[in-house]
Amino acid sequence: MLYSCTKAGPWRWQRAVLPGRAGLFLLLCFTAGLAAAQSSNEEKPVPILSGSAGYFNFVTAGQNQVDAQINPVLLVPLGERWLVESRMECEGAFQRPPDGGPYGGQVSKNLDYLQADYIANPYVTVTMGRFLTPFGIFNERLYPIWIRSLQQDPLILPLSAESSDGMMLRGGFPVDPKANLTYAVYASAVSTDHNNLESDRNAGGRISFFFPGPRVEVGASFQKLLQDTRTNAFGFHFAWFSTRLPLNVHSEYAQSNQGSGYWIDGAYRLSQLHFWQKAMRRTEFAARAEQFFSGSISADEAAALGLQAANTREGEFGLNYYLQDGIKAVASYGRQFSSAGNLNLWTVGIAYRFLIPLGRPQ
Amino acid sequence: MKIGITVLVCALALGSFLYTSSAHAEEPSGKKDATSSPVVHNYDADAMRVQGELRYRANCGRCHAAPRKFPPRMMATVLRHMRVRATITDEDMKLVLFYMTQ
Repeated sequence: MLYSCTKAGPWRWQRAVLPGRAGLFLLLCFTAGLAAAQSSNEEKPVPILSGSAGYFNFVTAGQNQVDAQINPVLLVPLGERWLVESRMECEGAFQRPPDGGPYGGQVSKNLDYLQADYIANPYVTVTMGRFLTPFGIFNERLYPIWIRSLQQDPLILPLSAESSDGMMLRGGFPVDPKANLTYAVYASAVSTDHNNLESDRNAGGRISFFFPGPRVEVGASFQKLLQDTRTNAFGFHFAWFSTRLPLNVHSEYAQSNQGSGYWIDGAYRLSQLHFWQKAMRRTEFAARAEQFFSGSISADEAAALGLQAANTREGEFGLNYYLQDGIKAVASYGRQFSSAGNLNLWTVGIAYRFLIPLGRPQ
Repeated sequence: MKIGITVLVCALALGSFLYTSSAHAEEPSGKKDATSSPVVHNYDADAMRVQGELRYRANCGRCHAAPRKFPPRMMATVLRHMRVRATITDEDMKLVLFYMTQ
């Protein structure tokens, strides 16, 4: 819309923008009216400070990087229908210069999301603000270091925007006794390359079906960039949590003009082994296979986006040991194959999830 | 212009949908139940616990190791967060909350 303003003058801009703004205003009126009608008959939820902290050593092609991070999550429920939530990512990555010397590096601070959620009814939740882009499942659900089974990011993660600024409608409801439908549609109105608040103007959505019986989820995502190259991206995802084995499997495929690729990973808790049961119950074996294919952008552009500059294959496996609920020690090894050179990836570290009530918890 | 009109139409349709679905969820007493479910089941406490555990294992295990139980007011906040983040259905959320606070 801003583009049409500069191209065709203020009248055309007004004609293009005003209906959209009027629609959003009406929508807010409806939601505000519903909010005023709510009642209180359950125990009040309490604000929570949660999040994760971690310390890792990433050794990539023999170069050691010390990575320390803390990612606080603030959850503030308001009334029966509202939730204000936010996550910040503070990460320090330090390594020695190639010619030796002390470790040095930068501490980055990013606001991943700061959103207000309004649970309008069992079918619709309205989200406003800065939110995680619902493209695939990794970015929204598997990203936190205490959740992911392997600490390296999938190669295709930068293919879609990680955060968006705008409005989103989402929800999940049963369409059949054996299937739930979940959806998310969104529009991001802000384009900025500010260091801590990067986002693009885009619109898109995700739809998926979850089958609680076999615990299988399948879905598809779409995103349209509304600036610059105005390109499309699409993807598919799959998740399975076995009912017979302590095994879960996740997979994603994504494609855009920047590249395409897939990853599939599995995590198996060794609780079924008949020896060292106390330790085996806490131990998880994880593995991932992935492949990335370069797109129609230059190697420099790919590097700026965090993508591989050449076609790449990678395999990785690791062990996670849960010291207690919320604390796990991790170790993994991976091998990357690329026309730019093959290399080893080693990771050791510890991840911790915390949960602190900001009020009376009982 | 076409995009603007499309947004307006979609917003009006959505507003109508929100309004009518909320009206359907209204209780006879006139109170609106924010967490009313599209599929209404009447479970007794034991059945709710069993169903809650089933839904807990099916939903939470999709992404992460099963967490331990926290005090009720904390669980209410966590479940509201997870309802949004993982698009858990309203009925699943209520049953998991019941199970996790017993």
